[in-house]
Amino acid sequence: MSRLVHRLASRMLAAASALLPSRLSPWARAMERELAEIPDDGAALMFAAGCLRAVLGLAIAARLRSIGAAARAMLLATASSTRRLPTMTRISARPRLLGLICGACAVAMGMAYMLAAGAPPRYLLVNLLALVLGATAWLALGRTASSRLAGAGFLVVALALALLLTSFFGLAADGASRWVSVGPVALQVSLIVLPVMLVLYARRPDAIGTAGMIVAALALAVQPDRAMAGVLAAGLLALLCAAPSRLALTAAVAALLAFGFTLVMPDALPATPYVDRVLFTAFDVHPLVGVAVLTGAALLAVPCLVAASKGAAERPALLAFGGCWLSVVVAAALGNYPTPLVGYGGSAVLGYLLSVALLPGGARQAGGSAATRARPGADRGSDPTAPELRVAQPA
Amino acid sequence: MTTRKRAMSNPARALLATLLDAGERWSHGYELASRTAIRSGTLYPLLIRLEAQGYLEAEWQQPLASGRPPRHAYRLTAAGRRLARAEAGKLGQAGPIADWRGREAAS
Repeated sequence: MSRLVHRLASRMLAAASALLPSRLSPWARAMERELAEIPDDGAALMFAAGCLRAVLGLAIAARLRSIGAAARAMLLATASSTRRLPTMTRISARPRLLGLICGACAVAMGMAYMLAAGAPPRYLLVNLLALVLGATAWLALGRTASSRLAGAGFLVVALALALLLTSFFGLAADGASRWVSVGPVALQVSLIVLPVMLVLYARRPDAIGTAGMIVAALALAVQPDRAMAGVLAAGLLALLCAAPSRLALTAAVAALLAFGFTLVMPDALPATPYVDRVLFTAFDVHPLVGVAVLTGAALLAVPCLVAASKGAAERPALLAFGGCWLSVVVAAALGNYPTPLVGYGGSAVLGYLLSVALLPGGARQAGGSAATRARPGADRGSDPTAPELRVAQPA
Repeated sequence: MTTRKRAMSNPARALLATLLDAGERWSHGYELASRTAIRSGTLYPLLIRLEAQGYLEAEWQQPLASGRPPRHAYRLTAAGRRLARAEAGKLGQAGPIADWRGREAAS
């Protein structure tokens, strides 16, 4: 009996010790050998159970440490790739290009999900068309070297007014007025204009732009749109963290008030298949499809990761962009709100690619030709007449 | 770079005290567990940490009786003895030894 108990306990320990990294395996052997010295069966079992707990704890801690180290290495590699890896350098140092690639990958993963889930072919076509349109806009904006950032505030106001008009005259469903009809397709205006407004405002947070942000907050409260009001607040809070200013604070307070208002308003839109709850339902199709959808959603925030390696001039726009799209994904995870890019809906695709197109160009600006080169920090200069929106030429 | 210094737990202090009592003599895992009433699940992570920090020596020792497997044995290094002496005064601060032994044994 005694031998059997000891052998059983010893086998248990030996099996668990396989989970340990090699530097700790002598310790597992030490525990196992010690077990052989305990004459009493009960004491041996208690000792083995404690050792098992220790081994499992050590194995988990070692795994977590190695995962953490790998994640840190990946982040460092991304941040320092400018010097080390020529291909990654060019991509990670250019948030616009990185955003286009991430957006296209996310749409592709979303299309794979819809295909696997048996969505109507029209849905795939709409997303593909939006990708083509967005990429074209990305290309066009990249070549519009004469676009002036000095007029960004007015553009923000114009977009905010469009949002407000949608609140009053747009298509309504279940008490929410968020859409406009474009032929056979209903576009959610806020998903297109809000990310664009946030990036523009982050690049030039002037008084006119602040007024536009307040109008946008009002529009989202009127619609009401809880998710997008939260997105506006998140984007502005990210901007506030990166570049605190009284104007940005005013805009953020307005957005938070609007978000608070939408929280107390009823928001009971039912989930639409292939649009809402995609982050969860994709796993019902196949675990791999679920992983693809999650990966696609995570990719949306990747351009923001390069913010760490960017200068103070470029960081606010990248962080506002990241805050915006991360909160769109979070909203989609928490409620019945469209899952951006990986779900059906051209509005998010257009909004993502347009906002990507307006991000600071990156390396090309600093090292490109004279025609495409922009001055670092020019887009947030104190002189309101000087800066121009000189977006880098696409590859 | 700053190093985070954790306060030492009472089982760690008790283990150090026991190893300090042993002096130059080598101790084994089960013996330490019995003398300190620390469970093996707590004891081994403590031993691993003390060894990694240079406070503990560990070595494989051939058994006196034939047919037995080698055993892992432990004793404090000079740095470990200094630490044990420094921590010995603090052991009583957190409550009587019997208290923590009771808690550890009951956990």
